Amino acid sequence: MNVSILILLSCPLLAFAEWIETPAQSSKGHLVPAPDYAPNFPRDHGSHPEYGIEWWYWVGHLQSADEQKTFGFQFTVFRIAGDAEKAENQFDGFFGNQNLFLVHSALSDLESGEYLHLERVYREGWQARASSQTLNLSVGGIQAHLLSGEEGQRVVARYKEANRLELSFRPTKPLVPFGDRGLSRKGADPAAVSWYWSYTRLQAEGILIRDGVEIPVKGTAWMDHEISSSQLGGGLEGWDWTCMQLDDGTEIKAYRLRTGAGESDPWSAVYWIDGEGGTERVYADGFSWEAEDSWTSPNTGLEYPTSVKVTAEHPVRGKQIFRLRPLLDGQEFTGNRSDNAYWEGACEVLNERGDRIGKAYLELAGYGGGLGARLN
Amino acid sequence: MLYLRLAALILVRTTVRHWREKIGSYLLLLAIVAVGVGAFNGIRQASRSASANFGLFNQAISGQSDFLIESPTKTLSADVLYSLGPLSGDPDWHLVPVIEGSITSLDGDGEPQQQLRLVGLDLMGLANLPNLSEAKFDFGEDELTWYDWLGSENSVWIGRKTAEKLGFDEGEAIKFIASGRMREMVVRKIIGVESSSFPDDLVIADLPTAQLLLSRPNELSRIEVIIDRPELRENVDYLETIKSRIARYLPENLAVQPTQNRAADRAAITAAFRLNLTILSLIAILVGAYLILQALDAAVVRRRSEVATLISLGVSRGVLFLTFLLESAVIGSIGSVIGIGVGWLFAYLSAQMLADTVNALYFATTIEAISLTWMDCVFGLCLGFSFTLLAGWLPARDAMQTPPAQVLSRGDWSPGFSWLRNRWIGTVLLVLGSLLLLLPPFPLEAGGKMAVGGFLAAGCWILGAALLSGHLLVGLAGLLRSFSSSPTSRLACSRLHDGSSRHRLAVAGLVVAVGMVTGMFQMVDSFRGTIEQWFNVRFQAELYISERGVTGAGTINGIDPSVMSELVQDETIAYADIVYVSYANPPEGITVLSGVDMEAWSTTIRQLWLKPPGSLEPVEGSEPALISETFARRFGLLEGGSIELETTTGKKSVSPIGIYSDYGNEFGTAAVDISTWKEWTQSERPINVSLYLNEGSDINGVRDRLRLSYPGLDVRNAAELRGVALDIFEQTFKATSALNGIGLVVAFAGLLLGLLAIFDESSRTWLTLRHLGFSKNQFLLSAGLEGAGIGLGAWISGSLVGLALGWLLIFVINVQSFGWTLRWQVPMADFLTFGSLLVIAGFLSGLLAATYWSHKNK
Repeated sequence: MNVSILILLSCPLLAFAEWIETPAQSSKGHLVPAPDYAPNFPRDHGSHPEYGIEWWYWVGHLQSADEQKTFGFQFTVFRIAGDAEKAENQFDGFFGNQNLFLVHSALSDLESGEYLHLERVYREGWQARASSQTLNLSVGGIQAHLLSGEEGQRVVARYKEANRLELSFRPTKPLVPFGDRGLSRKGADPAAVSWYWSYTRLQAEGILIRDGVEIPVKGTAWMDHEISSSQLGGGLEGWDWTCMQLDDGTEIKAYRLRTGAGESDPWSAVYWIDGEGGTERVYADGFSWEAEDSWTSPNTGLEYPTSVKVTAEHPVRGKQIFRLRPLLDGQEFTGNRSDNAYWEGACEVLNERGDRIGKAYLELAGYGGGLGARLN
Repeated sequence: MLYLRLAALILVRTTVRHWREKIGSYLLLLAIVAVGVGAFNGIRQASRSASANFGLFNQAISGQSDFLIESPTKTLSADVLYSLGPLSGDPDWHLVPVIEGSITSLDGDGEPQQQLRLVGLDLMGLANLPNLSEAKFDFGEDELTWYDWLGSENSVWIGRKTAEKLGFDEGEAIKFIASGRMREMVVRKIIGVESSSFPDDLVIADLPTAQLLLSRPNELSRIEVIIDRPELRENVDYLETIKSRIARYLPENLAVQPTQNRAADRAAITAAFRLNLTILSLIAILVGAYLILQALDAAVVRRRSEVATLISLGVSRGVLFLTFLLESAVIGSIGSVIGIGVGWLFAYLSAQMLADTVNALYFATTIEAISLTWMDCVFGLCLGFSFTLLAGWLPARDAMQTPPAQVLSRGDWSPGFSWLRNRWIGTVLLVLGSLLLLLPPFPLEAGGKMAVGGFLAAGCWILGAALLSGHLLVGLAGLLRSFSSSPTSRLACSRLHDGSSRHRLAVAGLVVAVGMVTGMFQMVDSFRGTIEQWFNVRFQAELYISERGVTGAGTINGIDPSVMSELVQDETIAYADIVYVSYANPPEGITVLSGVDMEAWSTTIRQLWLKPPGSLEPVEGSEPALISETFARRFGLLEGGSIELETTTGKKSVSPIGIYSDYGNEFGTAAVDISTWKEWTQSERPINVSLYLNEGSDINGVRDRLRLSYPGLDVRNAAELRGVALDIFEQTFKATSALNGIGLVVAFAGLLLGLLAIFDESSRTWLTLRHLGFSKNQFLLSAGLEGAGIGLGAWISGSLVGLALGWLLIFVINVQSFGWTLRWQVPMADFLTFGSLLVIAGFLSGLLAATYWSHKNK
């Protein structure tokens, strides 16, 4: 439930062309991302504790070296800042009172049909640390840092029963900033903006330790890093989000925010990322998102529209149709509490004719009801 | 089988009739068995309830902790958290750092109200625990916004019972003293926990808040480990795998152990205390066994002609033997069942008393609900049953040997118990007891020792004295008869001089109780005397300061160092003797490492020295230390040497340069110089300070001024400190006194029962005397004197064995169990008062029994 708030806060957000003046601070006293900001890497891969909300997100598809096994994975680290006014104790390095971290990690074993997932929450301190100088995260079972001497990242995620995934990511495209003047808009509120940077195609390589067996793996991945300080408005039931990596070397990010009436919020959008990292986009009136089939969770009883048809009008190439099909039905992330469940999993992408044209990750949140109420 | 059926038939047809006729005696007999079993079971349940509660937070909140990560000194530097490496975020378990300490709540007038246990934990981390929601740990509305707790520095959570007791509501401020400072926090939430395991005295706060309140920044008490899959808790292999995975990455000075081991540690710490109580509780049942033997023997005598008739009719002697054994078994079973109920009642009444004692002597505890387990029932039944059966054995054998012709022709045959007349059995027991003293003490888990030889010797001596007491009674009666002139007194003396089995049994039962009671008299008195002397020598300072409200020996919370350094700047202070205390681990068990001003302790500070400073040569390479007598005896350092203690900073060797008497704890203390102590323990927190004031200072004036300036501290003058210490001392002997009382009540009930049987048996004599003109008053007086004679005989025999027991308790059992020597004091006045009471009680018992007999035989 509470995690859902953070997920919602951290979901891919809108960017309208109409410009607004952003305030210096949010209502809670945190800094608001400024326009025309020139990110300074590697520092900006690190944490931004002056801002209210931040997350790092990796998803991807892997294949074992012998090509016998395929996997999907998700790692997410959230940081949410507490009320700066309330905290009086000096942070002693062990038990912080300013920042809360959450980790979600999941592994889909597409051959065996097993889905491992884990949620943990920590306060900043001995179990959760994020450097503000570079990418250096150590939050519970997830460790992430930059590769030394080359562009890329190294992430280690631990699952239950001593299972572990260790991956190195090397980008094949430059980092993509979303939005206008470096700001991704989240809503009508001028403070509802974020810095939103993604590696839309990463080469992944590493090992998976599964049931005590070390399996060399490689594949492709997607990484997001977003920094903001404000929350979304009310009236939302949840969201559907996907990142597609097509075999032609392009990527597509699509999402719709679902209103209580079952419609797409105007901030919903589709982005196309070309081979060089350039982007095109359309908004809610330029695409449709239709459920073609659904899956009902035996754990929570929730019904998720896991087969999706996205029809979008590319500004140059015209109408395009993408069909998402789950590679495994049971990819429901239930976390520590079942009322906080969402579906996030590995999919394949089909074209209009039903031919496989790429891979995707699909996120379906807010199907348990009541999410909108918690957001208000 | 046929034997058994026949025996049962005879029991139903004849014995039940006798029970109806002597309903009062049998009810008393049942009561004796019930009290005996009840005392044993009650102590068992009460000490479990009083010392089981050691407040692992998780046990109270979300079920069970599986492992504990601890250092030898029971404190950890928070720095270790960063050295845990991959352990910290492993999804297969949850690491829960905990800090624990004592605080004292204050009432509206600012007076100490209740000592509470403050447990600090990472409230954020609770959300990860697998059982949180299943444990019915209700955070109410807060549950939806738990992340708001981040930064809840001035909030505490308390249990419903505590809130009701102290009169707090949610949102109200709670005032208390922590680390010598007055504090105020807001009750964020009263936790509604249905589980009865939530301790009464628990207060929960966010971990950094608790560290701040306790003035223990950067410190933890332990790290609790909870596995992520509680359904695998019973899987030994899984737990072992988890344990070895944790152990692989633990820093060298930390150890992971199953949580049950901690319970075992606590149990081991109080093992000697509980064992002593259990042994004492056996007295009642031992005395009871004597009485059962006596009562059943009387029953055999009464039914002798009936037994003879049955034998003449062809009933085999084996069946008769079985019948009487069956009778004992029935009495034992019914008495034991009642005893289980009585035990629960005793436990209910005495649990708080025992909890107070455990609090004062060992560690902070509160009582848990008294629980009656199946094992308690089985123990109680077995104990009562076997003791009664054992007691019934001899009378049953006696019945079996009845010669029918002789009994039916002469109407009487009473051989009595020949073994009661045999001096040798008693003498051999006394000698055997003396030899058993040579046995070495048995080592217990926490490093304590059990004086096996001492306890066995005590048992032998008591039994031996009980057996020989009949001879003393006979001799005493003969002596008194020669001084008696009146018919009544001569009659009483003659009857005692005859030394029937029943007289001997009556006195023997009393001797057991008297011996134990007088032995304990001496121990308590010697203890008190020794402590007073220790006080006179040791406590020469004018004022003594410690954390307010904290009195237990096991509480080593301490005073905020900044408060202490400010306090000792007071211009009236000539010298401040500051003492630091922490736990340390010797090779086995636990001990106390103290930091003191070695120079002052070796020269000016007075002590009761067993070996004055400098009389022992320190071992090279070891830290010179002043050690307590307990420490010296426990680790064999009476003649010097060295021992390694595990401290926060690793193993350190200490070597004694002097040995002092100390009655503060039974684990032993090694005192090193303050600078060394601080270096070894990485702590700065003192436990108390003794202030020597400038000459001419107004002691009470300074005391009052300091009390006003430091409301979080207890400032006492020497007399007040002595009062507090003696209160704790008295507290520790409350349970012992209660058990002594029970033993005595059983013994007197037995005396009454015995005399009733004796007068019943002497019916013909009394009737003849009545015909000869013996008046009723003369009869009553003679009976009273007979009872008084038994009381006197029991007192003399009991006091003799009591003196031996006193010596044994002081010079063997105390030395071996606790490692301290006491000055032996025999409280003559108490002895005489007790003797007089015993004689009077005997006289009244005789009078009562005779009145009853007389009423029945009008």
